[in-house]
Amino acid sequence: MHGHDRRKFLGLCLGGITFTLMGAAIYPVFKFLAPLQTRKSAGKVEIRQQDLAEGEAKFIEFGGEPAVVVNSGEHGLIALSAVCTHLGCIVQWERDKRRFLCPCHAGLYTESGEVISGPPPKQLPKLPLSVNNGIITVG
Amino acid sequence: MKISKKTYDWLETRLGIEELIGKSLKGYLLPRNINFWYSMGSILLFIFALQVITGILLLIYYVPDAEKAFNSVKAIMNEIPFGWFIRTCHVIGASSMVFFLLLHMLSVLFMGSYKSPRELNWLSGFMLFTLVLAISLTGYLLPWSQLSFWATTVATNSVGTIPLIGDFLLEFLRGGKLVGPPTLGRFFALHVAVLPVTIAVFVMIHLFLVKRIGISTPPFGLDDTKNRWDDGKFRYEDHPGGIPFFPHYLLQDLTSIALYLAIFVFFVFFTPSLFFPADAFIPADSLRTPAHIKPEWYFLANYQALKLFPNEFIGIIVQALAMTFIAFLPFLDRGKEKHPLKRPVFTACAIGGILIFLALTIWGHYS
Repeated sequence: MHGHDRRKFLGLCLGGITFTLMGAAIYPVFKFLAPLQTRKSAGKVEIRQQDLAEGEAKFIEFGGEPAVVVNSGEHGLIALSAVCTHLGCIVQWERDKRRFLCPCHAGLYTESGEVISGPPPKQLPKLPLSVNNGIITVG
Repeated sequence: MKISKKTYDWLETRLGIEELIGKSLKGYLLPRNINFWYSMGSILLFIFALQVITGILLLIYYVPDAEKAFNSVKAIMNEIPFGWFIRTCHVIGASSMVFFLLLHMLSVLFMGSYKSPRELNWLSGFMLFTLVLAISLTGYLLPWSQLSFWATTVATNSVGTIPLIGDFLLEFLRGGKLVGPPTLGRFFALHVAVLPVTIAVFVMIHLFLVKRIGISTPPFGLDDTKNRWDDGKFRYEDHPGGIPFFPHYLLQDLTSIALYLAIFVFFVFFTPSLFFPADAFIPADSLRTPAHIKPEWYFLANYQALKLFPNEFIGIIVQALAMTFIAFLPFLDRGKEKHPLKRPVFTACAIGGILIFLALTIWGHYS
């Protein structure tokens, strides 16, 4: 009976040590493979206002994702995520029609990001934007 | 009925697991006087697996481009979480593989396990040894540091001394007259694709031969230590009443692997820079040769021996002959005796060879 208990105890100890060592080996591999953190805190993007004429859009990378700043004239300057809310394709700016088109499944958005037609379930997320001394700052 | 039992029964009816374990593991009997040295192969298999895993992980961040290789390795060491750990494991693992291969070969030599009918086991093992040296050499260039660049230049230079075809061979190997970006492409392909696959194939051949012919009987603790095989016909060397591989010898294999891991982890954590001299941290510069460039420790004896001959070609020929002699040793040594103390000439020559290798290595290191 004592022998049986001892065997169970030693088995548990061995299992615990093996489990801990496996964890110690897997953790570095997991951290090694995990994507490097995008620098969201330092993610402010600046562009010169004079580079963005009325009706123009400028595509930038913001917080590790594609974004777009559009000078709509009527609604002023708008910053939006450029990732289509349907399946994640990058929207294109149609200057003459003043709207965004998703080339994957023909989703259409207004210049301020609202859905006009097509499969997108919701509008393009708006991004914080400010203008100071002719410098547009996104973020 | 529990789901695990159901799954087991399902697999049992299709694969015959119990019969397989009974026949191939529990029924696989090993000599009663088997010793620790017989677990060197398992340690080597474990190291090879670890090298493949760490190598694949390094491939994720390494860029095989002469412009970017050094910086990618620098990023692995300094920016990628635990990148230093994975790379250090790979570097120390490479040296361990050569070291344990040498131990494995020496144990086979002293116990006479290379003798008939195991000539092919020895030959395939010797091929594995040269392949491991080749994979170490090709991997050495990849960090594209001053050390790797110039060590590769020195190591490949010897090929050029072969009369008539030397220059052509050297240029073909390097992909140009000198070591450069084309060399990196070639060595990268060899290191990550050609050589690992070739090694895996030879490991399978080697294991097949070990299993097909049967484990050799160690010459220790027996009265009759002569080779019992007669040249007549094929015979599997069985060991009735021997030790079952599972669980008995598997436990010895696992103990040896655990011991190896303890030594390996010590080197990884306490001497991580053992194989990284100062020149390993400077990007390759084809116009500036650093002073005192030397190859890795396992090539030091060859490097020093080459300096002793008046002509490099003669040095290479002598070394090639020595390697050929070792490769074909089982075909030359036809004696029946296996015990090292009962064949004093062989043992004296073997010990002499080891001492010469050690002396040349130390001399090479300090020269």
